[in-house]
Amino acid sequence: MEFFLQLVLNGIVVGSIYSLVGLGFVVIYKSTSVLNFAQGEFMVLGAYVCLSLTVQYQIPFFWAFLMTLVFSAVLGLVTERLILRPMIGEPVISLIMVTLGLSSLLKAIVQAIWGTELRPFPNIFPADPVNIGPLPVSQGYLYSLVSVAILLVIFTLFFKYTRAGVAMRATAFSQQVSLSMGISVQRIFALAWSIAAVVSAIGGVLLAGVRGGLDGAMAFFGLKVIPVVILGGLDSIAGAILGGPIMGILENLAGGYLDPLVGGGAKEVAPFVILVLILTIKPYGLFGKIKIERV
Amino acid sequence: MTPRKNLGIVLAAAIAALVPAWATAQQEIKVGGIFDLTGVTSDVGKPFAQGVQDAVAWVNENGGINGKKINLIGADYAYKIDQARALYKKFVNDDKVVMIQGWGTGDTEALKDFVGQDRIPYFSASFSAPLTDPSKFPYNFFVAPTYSDQLRSWLDWVKQDYAKAGGKGKPKVAFMFGDNAYGKSPLAAGRKYAAEIGIDVVDEAVLPPNFQDATSQLLTMKQKGVEYAYINVTTTGVSLVLRDAKKLGMNVKFGSNPYGFSEALVAVAGPLAEGVTGVMPHVPYGTPVPGMKNVVAMHDKLRAGDKGDAMYVRGFTYVMVWSEALKRADKAGQLNGPGVKAATETMADFSTGGLSQSVTYTPTDHRPTMTTSIYQVQGGKLVKIGDFIMPRTPEWLGL
Amino acid sequence: MRCGDFRESYAEDMALFDSALPRVLLAGLLALLLALPQFATTYWLDVMNRIFIAIIAAAGLNVVTGYTGLISLGTAAFLAVGGFATAALAGKAGLPFVVVIPLSGLVTAAVGLVFGLPSLRLKGLYLAVATLAAHYIVEFTASHWESVTGGVNGISIPPARFAGLELKDDRGIYYLILPVMVGLLFFTKNLFRTKVGKAFVAIRDQDISAEVMGVDVFRYKLLAFAVSSFLIGVAGSLLAYQARIISPENFPITLAIDYLGMVIIGGLGSILGSIFGAIFITLLPETLRLATDAMGNYWPGLMVIVAPIKAGVFGLVVILFLIFEPDGMAARWNHVKAYWKLYPFSY
Repeated sequence: MEFFLQLVLNGIVVGSIYSLVGLGFVVIYKSTSVLNFAQGEFMVLGAYVCLSLTVQYQIPFFWAFLMTLVFSAVLGLVTERLILRPMIGEPVISLIMVTLGLSSLLKAIVQAIWGTELRPFPNIFPADPVNIGPLPVSQGYLYSLVSVAILLVIFTLFFKYTRAGVAMRATAFSQQVSLSMGISVQRIFALAWSIAAVVSAIGGVLLAGVRGGLDGAMAFFGLKVIPVVILGGLDSIAGAILGGPIMGILENLAGGYLDPLVGGGAKEVAPFVILVLILTIKPYGLFGKIKIERV
Repeated sequence: MTPRKNLGIVLAAAIAALVPAWATAQQEIKVGGIFDLTGVTSDVGKPFAQGVQDAVAWVNENGGINGKKINLIGADYAYKIDQARALYKKFVNDDKVVMIQGWGTGDTEALKDFVGQDRIPYFSASFSAPLTDPSKFPYNFFVAPTYSDQLRSWLDWVKQDYAKAGGKGKPKVAFMFGDNAYGKSPLAAGRKYAAEIGIDVVDEAVLPPNFQDATSQLLTMKQKGVEYAYINVTTTGVSLVLRDAKKLGMNVKFGSNPYGFSEALVAVAGPLAEGVTGVMPHVPYGTPVPGMKNVVAMHDKLRAGDKGDAMYVRGFTYVMVWSEALKRADKAGQLNGPGVKAATETMADFSTGGLSQSVTYTPTDHRPTMTTSIYQVQGGKLVKIGDFIMPRTPEWLGL
Repeated sequence: MRCGDFRESYAEDMALFDSALPRVLLAGLLALLLALPQFATTYWLDVMNRIFIAIIAAAGLNVVTGYTGLISLGTAAFLAVGGFATAALAGKAGLPFVVVIPLSGLVTAAVGLVFGLPSLRLKGLYLAVATLAAHYIVEFTASHWESVTGGVNGISIPPARFAGLELKDDRGIYYLILPVMVGLLFFTKNLFRTKVGKAFVAIRDQDISAEVMGVDVFRYKLLAFAVSSFLIGVAGSLLAYQARIISPENFPITLAIDYLGMVIIGGLGSILGSIFGAIFITLLPETLRLATDAMGNYWPGLMVIVAPIKAGVFGLVVILFLIFEPDGMAARWNHVKAYWKLYPFSY
């Protein structure tokens, strides 16, 4: 029983970082209907910038972190302006391919500037784990849990009550209608990409802090989060927040109970299989909006 | 001038232009290099490649191969197997190399049948045991004890350490590995040997590629009461496991294979790496052995500002071994694939100046050494705690 | 090339080539390709072989993604199934390639059919992720079903063999791959003149209307997956014969993404697009390598710095292509052709 609880708790805790990065995916999808495959690279780039600022320039972590967020916001804006703006109106699949190209490009830039070796990430959390029930948990994960909770509240309020938030939802629903209502679709896109980049940077810094080391391979995390947002529903903030822990729990349970049976590897595959099963029951994800198609 | 005279002059000019090229080509020995500089093992692949390149420069500066220069035609294959194959075909068919410096288990496994067919010696940085059986793979070589012998040596150390700590009964050991050929390479040998010397392998945990969290695997290990664990991934994976183990409050003694244990591990894992043991077939950078002089000299000359590490030393050592083979083949007038193979097989107790164990290859046994050095992180430094020698039994050849 | 429409019968309207010139040019191209092994180096033969295999698989992916509108990330998985099926049939059962290649295709088609089942309920990106699940499931099976696939160590495939003929090197296998590719391309092009192909296109354009008009959408979606997987499986089989040793490491998810890139950059819904895309994506790393090799000869230390630049240029080229040629290379080709058809009367 304790084993089970430990696995579940670990799943929730690890899943909180999935949620964080997943938020980035959902924000972009909600406004632009694009699935951004470069989210993992945004994460890594944010973490590397923070690392350089802290280690190379000896800036105290708090300020380095804020500067990283500013950098990420600018990165999001630049990406949107240079790469996504010319692609407005193109079919979704082309947009997805562009983000794939972007992820390749960013990966190479990271490698060229910072190399491929694993770099130690400064210890931003106290090293001692905290006990939640039967499971010792790294303090880094606690920070991510708290951040996710705060961001959930912020984003729900944002999308529901602020003008910008409503404008984003309108743009996601129909770009043409929004334009005719006077919403600057371009500005909405820019905002969406900035927010997504910032959220990814937070996730990246937290993840690197928990791992204690940073290298380019951390970008694969982005690909891992895609099933999470699909599970939760691509256009649902609540879906991303809840999908993270759910996926984390599934992974850990599969790892704990199935891995010994099949000789390993179940931790990777089982969540996908369960995802497909859930999708057959809820084809738009757990909380996604069901598209009503009209002919 | 008549057309025929024109043609004659053009031909003469062409031949004149070619002669210097031909002459230099005569003086050059082409060696192919397949490296991982940007792919999944590039964190250890890049320093290795740098070591190889710098060592080739050193050899060329110091008399070359009996006066001839080595032309290292290196390329990055980013651990994409079809790129490795394409590079191999280019090296062998178009560049006409005499031997190839390869890298990891992925490329070596994909090419092992081809190198045998085409008779091109292939020095890999993969220490997989089956490659040492010349009856199956006569053209594969490497410069380190096999992964299997390394694991056997580590298991010997476990027995020793367990007895020293006053343990009763059989020590409980787990294997943690990536689900690929490289990760699984020594496991079968490890299981058999553990059973022979009285060690209980109670758990085998898979670490998925690019994993971020090993908690579920470690919890399972904790449940089974594991006391020692051997990790068979790269440095990044080892440091993640150490972090998660510390968090869960496990007092398991971890050991690692040579690609997970080097100065980089200490740099990244910091105090978490204390007490971790690892196999090191090549000495840490800067160890005061006779051969280190040249290594440090080239490194400081060409890569000042970078920190040298054991992978760099590994690359250097490889070149020392195969450039010696090239020298012997050249002296015998057989600068071709089979000639270099035969020359390598004449190396008996060849010393690399202390950078690694001395190596011996014979036509029936390509295991270069049966001695495995085990190091431990003590006070943030890599300290040798013992040399374990495995018997060179014929039954273990290739396993 | 004739400017204007001169079709006088239904057959003429449906013809693949509207005049003699395209047929002559195509015959000339084929003759050139047949003669290529006489004067190409082994390296370039290997590149051509890889391009042809990529063309077949890209055509397969185009069938399901370009023509039917179902985004599939399972290309790498289906290539693996084709390859491992070949390893089992040719290696273990020792069958000749005339039997092995179609059989591998059929096995892959069956697997593709199974993984196409979610298309009943899922659409768009959700379906894409279900095919991603297919990829990981196949990868897991390949790594663990050791008796058939050799597990993580991979498995060797004997040279393609039939009635005493053994294709042992790149030249030999070139003469196998080329006719198979040409045949399958004609098959696929022809598919879109038939009822089945038109049903696929109808599903892409508006599947609800298609259902209303009497197209059994589910059945045709499954058929699209099956046909696409057959093509990809044959490509995987040829890949196995060419590479002679395959392992799960040969089929990472980045391969599926590369193929998606091929069909998008080449042009969705067009056989010519598959050809262009496959050539482009396969040749791009080679061209980059030639360029960096040339630079590396002048400055050996450059190799280590330049390697990440190669990957970056790849991503940059993909992005630029999509920004400036969003409809793909095939569309640009058709524009150019149309321009020359009416030259100098461009309007």
